[in-house]
Amino acid sequence: MLLARVLDDKFASLYRGGKIHGGVFLGRGQEALSVSIGLSLRKGDIFAPLIRDAAGRLAFGETVLEAVRTYLGSPLGPMRARDGNVHRGRPKDGLLPMISHLGAMISVVNGALMAHRFKGISGTVGAACIGDGATSTGAFHEAINQAAVERLPLVLVIANNEYAYSTPTSRQFACENLVDRVTGYGVEGHALDGNNLETCLKTVQEAVGRARRGEGPQMIVARLLRLCGHGEHDDAHYVDPLLKKESYARDCLKLAEEHLLRQGWAESRDLETWRNEAVQQVEEAVAIVQREPAPDPYKENWCALASKHLSEGNNPAA
Amino acid sequence: MSITYLEAIREAQAKALADDPRVFIYGQDVGAFGGAFKATKNLAQEFGGRVLDAPISEDAMMGAAVGAAIEGMRPIIEIQFADFSTIGFNQIVNQAASLFWRTNVSCPIVVRLPSGGTSGGGPFHSQNLEAIYSHYPGLVVMTPATVEDAYSMLLEAVAIDDPVIFCEHKFLYYHLKADKLPTEALPVGKASIARPGRDMTIVTYSAMVHEALAAANELAAEGNEIEVVDLRSVRPLDTDTIMASVARTGRLLCVGEAWPWGGVTAEVIARVCSEGFDLLDAPPQRLNAKDTPVPYHPNLWAAHRPTARSVAQAARKLLRL
Amino acid sequence: MPQIPIIMPQLGESIAEATVVRLLVKAGDQIAADQDVLEVETNKATMNVASPCPGRVQKLMVKEGESYPVGAVLGYLEASTEDVARLGLDRLLTDSNGHDTDVVHAEKQSEAPRRQVEPTVRGLPVPAHAVGASYMSPRMKARMAELGLHAADLSGVAGSGAAGRVTIQDFEKFITNLERNRLSQASSMRVAVADAMRRSWTRPLATVALPICLDALLAHRKASDPKPGPALYALRALAVALSENSAPAGRLVGTKIVHPPAIDLSFAVEAEDGVLVPVIRNADKRRLMDMVPRYNELVELARQRRLPPDATGGSIATVTNFGTFGLTWATPIPLPEQTVVLGMGAGRRVPSWDEKKGQFVPVMEANFTLSFDHRVLDGGAAGRLLSRIAALLNTPQQL
Repeated sequence: MLLARVLDDKFASLYRGGKIHGGVFLGRGQEALSVSIGLSLRKGDIFAPLIRDAAGRLAFGETVLEAVRTYLGSPLGPMRARDGNVHRGRPKDGLLPMISHLGAMISVVNGALMAHRFKGISGTVGAACIGDGATSTGAFHEAINQAAVERLPLVLVIANNEYAYSTPTSRQFACENLVDRVTGYGVEGHALDGNNLETCLKTVQEAVGRARRGEGPQMIVARLLRLCGHGEHDDAHYVDPLLKKESYARDCLKLAEEHLLRQGWAESRDLETWRNEAVQQVEEAVAIVQREPAPDPYKENWCALASKHLSEGNNPAA
Repeated sequence: MSITYLEAIREAQAKALADDPRVFIYGQDVGAFGGAFKATKNLAQEFGGRVLDAPISEDAMMGAAVGAAIEGMRPIIEIQFADFSTIGFNQIVNQAASLFWRTNVSCPIVVRLPSGGTSGGGPFHSQNLEAIYSHYPGLVVMTPATVEDAYSMLLEAVAIDDPVIFCEHKFLYYHLKADKLPTEALPVGKASIARPGRDMTIVTYSAMVHEALAAANELAAEGNEIEVVDLRSVRPLDTDTIMASVARTGRLLCVGEAWPWGGVTAEVIARVCSEGFDLLDAPPQRLNAKDTPVPYHPNLWAAHRPTARSVAQAARKLLRL
Repeated sequence: MPQIPIIMPQLGESIAEATVVRLLVKAGDQIAADQDVLEVETNKATMNVASPCPGRVQKLMVKEGESYPVGAVLGYLEASTEDVARLGLDRLLTDSNGHDTDVVHAEKQSEAPRRQVEPTVRGLPVPAHAVGASYMSPRMKARMAELGLHAADLSGVAGSGAAGRVTIQDFEKFITNLERNRLSQASSMRVAVADAMRRSWTRPLATVALPICLDALLAHRKASDPKPGPALYALRALAVALSENSAPAGRLVGTKIVHPPAIDLSFAVEAEDGVLVPVIRNADKRRLMDMVPRYNELVELARQRRLPPDATGGSIATVTNFGTFGLTWATPIPLPEQTVVLGMGAGRRVPSWDEKKGQFVPVMEANFTLSFDHRVLDGGAAGRLLSRIAALLNTPQQL
């Protein structure tokens, strides 16, 4: 969580320093939920994180270096500068790179789980993350329905952070609680405050366990508040100040640190050390990547097909 | 023994399922029912568990295909009518087509689109969308015109590691028959000379190949020999064969059943003009469907798409230029 | 009272507009049918516009010195209903709202920007389909470039394409058939002349002729040593005439007249199977006799095809003595970069009426021709040049 927060802060400052092209999207406030997913999954599982899941990615096995390489557009990163910021992953490791169309990744996770079934692989789970806004998409609806019909071990984690960009949830759905939808789909539901690390860990682990045991798709709806703009280009001035007073609006990282101190599992000194370690790790990665060369359009093969013999060789490079 | 275009597609799927356990078929009504057009007849029984009925969710079907492909399967998605593929358009063009380019992980899926008009089909059961999909880099788009090509190109589609949009023509399903299945074929990416000629080249694909051949017969009786090039796949487009043909004849007529704007006919002519301008002895012409949705009434439908008659007329006009 | 428009008539086959020179009547005048109301000028002539019927001039809407298109309304007459009916002019009446039905208002015309070409809705008025006998397809052009051919080479080829154009099949058949004949390689001289003549012919060329009495010239020549060639006399006379007025040797490029920088003249010399044209520089500044040695030298060098670079190119007009071949009449083609070529025919003894003696007397006479680019000069200027040359040749001692 801490590492994710430090990493996000670094991205934010790189953005303000003009070092990042394109958008920067942070997961501030969502770390507890996100890290719980990453920690609950195993090698061999499928994970489709979304925009604010830096913590979950790190917990699942993504490295800080890969995250920084993608943001800074290094050709050595997993996306080789062809896609950037949060659109990153390593499909063959089960970490699916998102596309921008919200809700689209869920059915991809479904398909991966169906493949496991075809191949006779059992005991794997697929987790997909979305926000409150994405629950309005047709893709979301088709996918959760498909998972239910096929009874797939899908764990769908909805981070309801009250806003989809500037749109409040009152303009996003009409049901009282998103988790009420589970009845309609025929899946199991879990609701929780998403800023409590302990609750998150417990709930996510339980949901993942049930899915893994073959009890069908699980839908988790976690309530929290987005503690940053939609992107770093957004100042979130539209956020209702009343919401900021809600219990689930408190910063999960602070809550976790307070808890550690209260329980005596760590001292302030430890927290500081860990923070410094995280900062150092991030800064080292940034330093490495900033020395890496930018992609060379003349060295790109500019071919979108794996089958080279079917490529029409329209190579625009000089 | 004779085999229809549709049966050839079925046979190819049966062979694919038999030869490779990674292949599965996913679509509406493909299971016990055997598919809306019977393209998967008996396959669910023969290959239990690998021919699955999907809910009416083209987006989820296509997304699942990509996910399954990432995990090593080779799915064939049957979309009931090409016209409905637009529901899953996002997953095809943004998820599947870009996956390899973004991640270096290939996406070996086949999307079968029953395309083209039949009498009474109307606006939403008749579309030809090969140009729309061809526009996106990362896709292979096939448009088989013969029973033999329907068979061998579908097999090759399954073998190709990239997403293949397989535009099979509904009108040809039961109308076209062949004596037997082929044992060899031109590779995908090569156009074939369906009919050699001397005075003009007609470049076309899918059902229009047959209209062009009929038109060529008409003109042969008038002393003009028309060469017909069957593109077989529109992406990749076999520019070499097209150029060689125009080099022989000097005149080009492109015929397509889809709409004019930005269609395959436009792409062919653009390439011939920019790369082979000096081969042309007359301005290149094209014949497409009328620029409206496909009409329902047979009278209107017959006038909407190119026919042997209208192709012959266009050819005569071009010969006179 | 009915109002009858006065309309700009069609004053000639290709006339599109005319300029009003003078208003012959004014508003309020009572005029008769066919009475002249306006004097207008086209680029060919000055004419009058007449009134279509008797009546009173209501208004004239034109200005002296302004141009108006054919069909424009120039003014209105008030006429009686009976006159209008009698003369069948009802069709020309304005409608009940006072708007013209068929005709164009002169006022609107003069305010509208003058435009030569009206774009069509889709853009430039070029044909979308390439039909027409002169259309050459890209393939044709490429093949012709490959074989070094020009449109002139195809003049004998029958075209089977639209409007009789030559298709690539016609062309290839033509080339194949050519191979069946005996072919020999044209000399580079022949090819060069062919190209020059082809390019020259892209202009509208015309020829005028004047028979000139050679007696004075021949007498002068007999008494001279060394003897100037006959063409040299003509060359010197042309030089003097052009130094007095160089306009006939100017060139027209677009709307500009390019004036000759110097009176450098060339003369034609037959060499092998072509023609060379050595140049004498500043022929206006040198006397005839002074030019003889150089002229003879150049003739010799030309015949041997050893002309020095300073004696080729840059001349503004050419003299050709086709009389040496015994020809009395010819229409030479000016060099592509020149506007005029002066030709001299063979001298013949012909009877000429002597007014003083009251009888025909024998004289030596030759036709002198001037072939010229008709864009630059007309028959009159050509005639005046020839007349001046004739006068100069009559006083050869002054050349």
